[in-house]
Amino acid sequence: MNNRIKEFRARYNLTQDDLAGKVNVRRETIVFLEKNKYNPSLRLAHDIARVFGTTIEEIFIFDS
Amino acid sequence: MKNRKALIILPALVLIACLVWFFSGVENMKFSNILNFGIILLILIFAVLVGFRRFKSFRDGGPAEDELSKKILAKAASMSYYISLYLWLAIMYFSDRIALENHTLIGFGIIGMAVVFGVCWLVINFAGLKNE
Repeated sequence: MNNRIKEFRARYNLTQDDLAGKVNVRRETIVFLEKNKYNPSLRLAHDIARVFGTTIEEIFIFDS
Repeated sequence: MKNRKALIILPALVLIACLVWFFSGVENMKFSNILNFGIILLILIFAVLVGFRRFKSFRDGGPAEDELSKKILAKAASMSYYISLYLWLAIMYFSDRIALENHTLIGFGIIGMAVVFGVCWLVINFAGLKNE
């Protein structure tokens, strides 16, 4: 699974710390997500999508 | 606040116990004792570093633990459990072949388990938890 968190973060001018604070996780978790080293829970994916005002499918790209 | 106290008190107690143990037998110190002391010191430093990371995150207004850190901890615990089974099997195998007392072997086993857990945690932290 790939994601566009970095791209959305740049679009909304948010730092990793800012995003981590908004979704109540540690900054390391955002780093892991952006490096595709971790697949988030549905709850976290939903929270991230809500911060960017979009859907989970827009941010997380599922490989078949 | 409770966590902050525990973060200071627990490593301090372990360090004091290690120092008492180290200096009580400093005259007839063997290489294996120094090695054991070094390993315990490494484990202590590791625990303090992990605790400090949690404290720093908490101080900056974030959670001390989140879903990733909990998953890494759970994965490291399960991996180290399996590896520790083989470690104890190896200790049982070698216990008949090397002249060490039972309490020394148990000590090696316990320290080995702690080292295995630390290594698993570091490896998972480095490699990540992709597709878990």
